[in-house]
Amino acid sequence: MGLTGPQSMSGLPKEELGGELRLGDIPLSQTVELVRIDLPPERAEPLLERGVLPGCRICPVRSSPAGDPIISVDGSLLALRRETANCLCVRLLSDFSQESQ
Amino acid sequence: MRDLSTPPEGSASASAQIENETRSPLIALIGPPNSGKTTLFNRLTGLRQKVANYPGVTVEKYVGQVQCDLERTVELVDLPGIHGFSARTLDERVTRDALEGRLEDLRAPDAVVLIVDCTRLESQLMLVEPVLKLELPTLLVLNMWDELEERGGNLDHMELAHLLGVKVVKTNARVGLGVDQVKDFLSGVEIRHRGLPPPVRVLNNVPRGVPLPMIDAFTARRRRVDKVVDRASFVQPGPARSTERLDAVFLHRIWGPLVFLAVVVVVFQSIFTWAVPLMDGVELLITSSGEWLASRLSDGWFRSLLIDGVWAGVGSVVVFLPQILVLFLFLGILEDSGYMARAAVIADRVMYRVGLQGRAFLPLLSGYACAIPAILAARTVEDERDRLATIFITPFMTCSARLPVYALLIAAFIPDRRLLGPLMSYRAAVLLGLYGLGIMAAVVTAFLLKRTLLRAEPGSFVMDLPPYRLPSARSIGLRLLDRSKIFLKRAGRVIFAVAIVLWMLTQFPRLDTGPPPIEDSALGRIGQVIEPAIEPLGFDWRIGVGLVTSLAAREVIVGTLGTIYGVEGATDDSITLQETLRRDLTLPAAIGLLVFFAFALQCMSTVAVMRRETGGWKWPILQFSYMLFLAYSGAFIAVRLF
Repeated sequence: MGLTGPQSMSGLPKEELGGELRLGDIPLSQTVELVRIDLPPERAEPLLERGVLPGCRICPVRSSPAGDPIISVDGSLLALRRETANCLCVRLLSDFSQESQ
Repeated sequence: MRDLSTPPEGSASASAQIENETRSPLIALIGPPNSGKTTLFNRLTGLRQKVANYPGVTVEKYVGQVQCDLERTVELVDLPGIHGFSARTLDERVTRDALEGRLEDLRAPDAVVLIVDCTRLESQLMLVEPVLKLELPTLLVLNMWDELEERGGNLDHMELAHLLGVKVVKTNARVGLGVDQVKDFLSGVEIRHRGLPPPVRVLNNVPRGVPLPMIDAFTARRRRVDKVVDRASFVQPGPARSTERLDAVFLHRIWGPLVFLAVVVVVFQSIFTWAVPLMDGVELLITSSGEWLASRLSDGWFRSLLIDGVWAGVGSVVVFLPQILVLFLFLGILEDSGYMARAAVIADRVMYRVGLQGRAFLPLLSGYACAIPAILAARTVEDERDRLATIFITPFMTCSARLPVYALLIAAFIPDRRLLGPLMSYRAAVLLGLYGLGIMAAVVTAFLLKRTLLRAEPGSFVMDLPPYRLPSARSIGLRLLDRSKIFLKRAGRVIFAVAIVLWMLTQFPRLDTGPPPIEDSALGRIGQVIEPAIEPLGFDWRIGVGLVTSLAAREVIVGTLGTIYGVEGATDDSITLQETLRRDLTLPAAIGLLVFFAFALQCMSTVAVMRRETGGWKWPILQFSYMLFLAYSGAFIAVRLF
């Protein structure tokens, strides 16, 4: 948890942070798994209620004209702000994609 | 407390018995937003529904009767669409309280119908667990079943019913498929006996501010849902191709904003051009019916009160009904088709800079027709502080009640000369400038509010983008019907009262021969009393009287000035009135008056709606004084500039 400040995500190549990726960094159509939500509960709640929960699969499907991410979760489309997307800690689904199930 | 308020034993049980015999069962309809809940409600109840407000809050309560068969009717309440029961938003609080029977004027339900969009089953089923804990007879409606099958999804709904222990129905509420089975369930609902313990109050009472447990609670519940869904062999449908294709245009980097602008232009065009013939028709109807009525009544105070007071006053508001209906027709289509959510996404960045969010765009756009429906529309803004900020700045949008005033003053004072080529005249420039003034005031005010009274951390903005769907005429028609009812009721009542008071002020003190000349009437004296206050703006007592009467509604000043100057039947294009005005008002003062109208909250109906929507007098009083202050200082500066 201590590593999650904004300073740890800028500048460094993502791999060196042990998969510490933010949803905002993920290219379109790349499905990822949500690891953690770095938001106070009150502001995380709207996300949780809409199925954005640790362990869920998220796929950025489009950018809004202003560059904010539009994601697909459980078949629902959600529009987020960049600022919110950068509070969502994710990891790539590769070999251990089944792990959290 | 309870003992004191309970009537003697005998009468209580007797009345309970009567109540049990006469009342029909009450069923609560709940579900997430965009699950087709209201469509199903409309299918089941049709026109047999009533809209009211839940006591003390602004959430609308829809209750309707469902005719199950010849003898049996049940009552169905359409609870606000929710994603969860945490009571973070007003809607969630109302839904939770309604289910637990804690609302004053709504008894506890006898059964629950939970409707979900089965193309997004996993996240939608998150509501199932808390609902089941109520231990009420429950029906799970799997709506949009057709879409699930079309897009290659699948679900063993019998297994799901078995696993959850509830009845399950597959529906397509938009075309009415499966609605009969829902009716079958409703007709089987019995009134629960009194004396049963109230439902368990366990709806996710996670205290705020405890970080981990809430996420854990959600994750744990989600895991249970996933297990159920897996065992019911749920196959998630593929992406909705039509939605993807439409989004590729509507959310395109270049086309998206262009379509957005086109939509805004069409909505504007509709309320300012297409609604005008309708409004003229209504106006004609009101005037001619007033004349007809006047000709039937003998001359006297009653005729004067009815025609000059009530008819003219209430008529001045009713005239706006066509415009509001046209506006809501467009907004309804945009909303139900799914485009409005995209518009909110596109508007979000701009609104965010001002301190608001994308959802505020819709109410602010409505504000150009009339602030009252706009303030009601602001309920879609989820965050309470953002909602307050939105409705606070809504009256700065140039509503159509300002137009007659602008039209009169501009025609009287601004020369009809070209400014820049054939498209832009001085008059058009002044009108545009007044619109711009309103926007500027709104932006600055929102900016200030979000940094002072309504300070909040910005950031988490989540917006559902529902699949595009063809809007149903039925749903939009029903909504138009209750929007017009609300508008007429809310606005009508205030205007009715104000019209009577204003009329009385023009009638007293009475002379032997009849009503006094306007300068001697109570109203004229009020004008003279406030004259010193408005003198620095270059206004005399006549304008003062106009300012007082226009508190009822802005455009009333036109008629008032007509009365004062003795111009019969004055309208904004009345030449005589324009000429008389030019004698009494200087050009700087006229511009001051325009600026005053751009800022001031001269609309009692708006104040009344604000009080309702904010649950008290604090916000309307603050808003009124703030806007008056801006109006006064704006006019003060304008008079000295020009």
